[in-house]
Amino acid sequence: MAPSHPDRLTRRNAIKAIGGAGAIGLAGCTETESGNGNGNGGGNGNGGGSSDGSGDGSSDGSDGSDSGSDQLSGEINIAGSSTVFPLMTAVAEDFSEQNPEVSIDVSSTGSGGGFSNFFCVGETDFNNASRPIQEEEMNLCSENDVEYVELVAATDALTIVINNDNDFATEMTVDELSQIWQSDAAETWDEVRDEWPNEEIDRYGAADTSGTYDYFLENVMGEAGHTDDYQATEQDNTIAQGVAGSEFAIGYFGFAYWFQNQDQITPVAVDNGDGPVEPSLKTASSGEYQPLSRPLFTYPSISSLAEEHIAEFARYFVDQTDNEELVAGDVGYVPATQETKEEQMQTLEDAIEQAQG
Amino acid sequence: MAVDRERAGAGFGEVSRVKGVAFRYVSFGASIVGLVALATLLVYVFIDAFDLANTNPVWLLVYFLTLVVPFIGFCLYSAGDRALTRRTALVLGGGLVATAVAFEAIELLITPIPRLTWQLAYLFVVVAPVVSYVVFVGAQKPVGATGFGLLGRTLGGAVLGTAVAILFIVLDMRLWFLVFTLGVVPAGAARAYGRYRGSGRALGLSIPVGVLGAVAAVFLRDVLRTYPTPPFIFIWTFGAPIALAAGLFVLNRGGTRRSAAAVGGVSLAAAAVGTVTGSSALPEGSAVLVFAAAAAPLAIHLHGVLDAEKGRVGLVLPVILGGGVLLGAALVGAFGIPGPDPWLDPGYLTEAPSRTAVEAGLYPAIVGSVIIIALVAVLSFVLGVGAAVFLEEYTADTGVVGAIARIIQINIANLAAVPSVVYGLLGLGLFANLLGFGFGTAVTAALTLSLLILPITVISAQEAIRAVPDELRQGSYAMGATRWQTTKKVVLPEAMPGILTGTILALGRAIGETAPLIMIGAATTVFSAPSNVWSRFSAMPMQIYAWANFPQAEFRYGVVAAGVVTLLIVLLSMNTTAIIVRNKLERDS
Repeated sequence: MAPSHPDRLTRRNAIKAIGGAGAIGLAGCTETESGNGNGNGGGNGNGGGSSDGSGDGSSDGSDGSDSGSDQLSGEINIAGSSTVFPLMTAVAEDFSEQNPEVSIDVSSTGSGGGFSNFFCVGETDFNNASRPIQEEEMNLCSENDVEYVELVAATDALTIVINNDNDFATEMTVDELSQIWQSDAAETWDEVRDEWPNEEIDRYGAADTSGTYDYFLENVMGEAGHTDDYQATEQDNTIAQGVAGSEFAIGYFGFAYWFQNQDQITPVAVDNGDGPVEPSLKTASSGEYQPLSRPLFTYPSISSLAEEHIAEFARYFVDQTDNEELVAGDVGYVPATQETKEEQMQTLEDAIEQAQG
Repeated sequence: MAVDRERAGAGFGEVSRVKGVAFRYVSFGASIVGLVALATLLVYVFIDAFDLANTNPVWLLVYFLTLVVPFIGFCLYSAGDRALTRRTALVLGGGLVATAVAFEAIELLITPIPRLTWQLAYLFVVVAPVVSYVVFVGAQKPVGATGFGLLGRTLGGAVLGTAVAILFIVLDMRLWFLVFTLGVVPAGAARAYGRYRGSGRALGLSIPVGVLGAVAAVFLRDVLRTYPTPPFIFIWTFGAPIALAAGLFVLNRGGTRRSAAAVGGVSLAAAAVGTVTGSSALPEGSAVLVFAAAAAPLAIHLHGVLDAEKGRVGLVLPVILGGGVLLGAALVGAFGIPGPDPWLDPGYLTEAPSRTAVEAGLYPAIVGSVIIIALVAVLSFVLGVGAAVFLEEYTADTGVVGAIARIIQINIANLAAVPSVVYGLLGLGLFANLLGFGFGTAVTAALTLSLLILPITVISAQEAIRAVPDELRQGSYAMGATRWQTTKKVVLPEAMPGILTGTILALGRAIGETAPLIMIGAATTVFSAPSNVWSRFSAMPMQIYAWANFPQAEFRYGVVAAGVVTLLIVLLSMNTTAIIVRNKLERDS
């Protein structure tokens, strides 16, 4: 390492060379931005007033995009039902592929959780629900001046499942279901029907923030209330594993989960007075599967629809509700009929018109 | 009973050893039960993520022979220990028979083992531990140190470069260009001049100059409209400085000017290559940063190896590995052996989530996690070190101040035990609602997670500062240094390895947290990477949690497993960084 040969590359020469290269590079590699810079512009507006509710979301999209171009851009915030979540993410995926500048986020919070924590305080643009909006939630929304419109997203067949080894309870009447799930619920299977075994009933169901819980309560038990003596969860997977793991278990959740895992658990045919009907896409769409085939909803906020990218997404969503491959094939719900879709589109267009004035 | 009688008969001379031996094995069992359980889970996660259950055993055999065996051979050559070589061969050979027999026996006599074959069991139970052991032994010797140093530095540099590049998805690179040009460069120049000429005034000027430049840059950003293209920005702000630093490092280590220029030149050339490559997952031009960050440590290491004249053979390690992969691929291709179709593939890392398992990707969540962790790192480091320095250096043990310090101390210790959901509530109330940082934004999440790990960082920083010998402080005071000078020049440098280790380990906890993120309304699924720190984002654990609930089995087994492996790799690389940083700083001081 002794410096036996003189170094030709002195520090000064090196600086000169690098500086020269830099100058040439700088001259050749510049670009002039149009509009405003990407990145830092959109942020500042959002920080200010989120406590005042509905006015908040609009600051993001409007400042960056020049209105002349037809490229949609902005954010869309969606929360709500875990039952609608797979459908909404599937539609959002396609929409954001076609409109890469629109960034969509979807959260699975449960219907009630989405309304009370996010939608009715003006934090989200859409709320998914597996049952219609409730009285208290309407009040909360109007307190915060959040207006909304109800759109039917698809039809679901709420599915009662039992263990694959359970060969006695494959058909049940609505009244028997109610005896199992009402607030003073049957302890053992033979309390429900005499010929059934004297074994304890192991219950797995939806948590009370879930729209599935509300719908099941209202249409099966009614006044009799929902039992507390069950494993409550937002996770369909937990229900399925619980039921698959215990011979005398029963559970309920949306159709999609059973549709994708038909070997794991057995569905119960429900008898509403006209004989037992198994849940399927066909029986749900024809209306035979009663009283458990239910509409699923999404609620866009009207103030959000004033923004073009959100209105366009809502149109796209309604347009996809009769897409059989997506709704039935990929997700496992019953697609809307042509007429329902046209009705929904009309409702939506009216709302958009109201919003955009 | 027999023992008791024996003891009674022999009097004082005999003591029962049964209890001691039993206790020894019980405690051994206690120490490994958790590890074995976790290892079993991870084996299954790996099998799912890489689709090993459906892999043709011949495919495994081909790569075992072309890749794993030469690699083990390299390690053994480096270790240069005959006994070790013999033992390794024995374990590998005997293990093969033992695993096969034991596995078949269990399957036949007790219960079928789901989704495992004896070949996979052999791979995980015998080959993986043997490989880690020989790597450990081989890396102690010059040959192995050279080879692994080469790979590790290149890989580490590339990973670090990629992490910084990801930050530029939300950072405005034009603003950074101005800040660098007007702030960092003049400040660096002032500092270099001050050092060179021994001018205290120039040294003192460097920080004000830098701040002034940064402020000017922020104002200029709104006025200026013409900027260099992104690749040029990256060359100027990262490629050239990294090359310069690499050159200076070699010069400082006693290299000639020529070798320093060569090392710098290689780094710069690699950066230049980066201008023409890139990935859609990273910001335009940021490949420059990745390439330069990988090439600079590589070049420095090569210079060191060629200088040292020892362990040069280690440089063949990349050739062995690359050759093994190519040979394996050629054999597999020639004989048409189908390979596995792993869930964790490049597409998984660079694409958005999807409703079909095959197309599903984790990209937006990875970006979200990296950005949050970067923010948390800065915030918790500043706050944690500040609090620790105050509590250790600036408080008295007695009097009112001492009492207050003790109260703070007790509360910090208790805060470490508060459940993370409670911190989520705090974040929701304080940052999202009261201060209006927005629901589920990266800023809200970063602040919440910083608070969450703050107690851990404070306590570990305190421990590190307390471990600095008092003699050093006294010596500094005796030289007439002030408390601030002592803290800055003596205590903090000495305590830095401990502080960094504690902080990085705490960050590992933050990156895996889910509950606080749910509380502050972080999104479950997003389809594009966040465009700035105020936009809604998703993080890896959120997306993994959502997938775990998908109806399709491919999501619950394949895609979730791939997500878990990704998260683990990120965590392990953070922990590795912690260990390397600690070792490096400890060696230096």
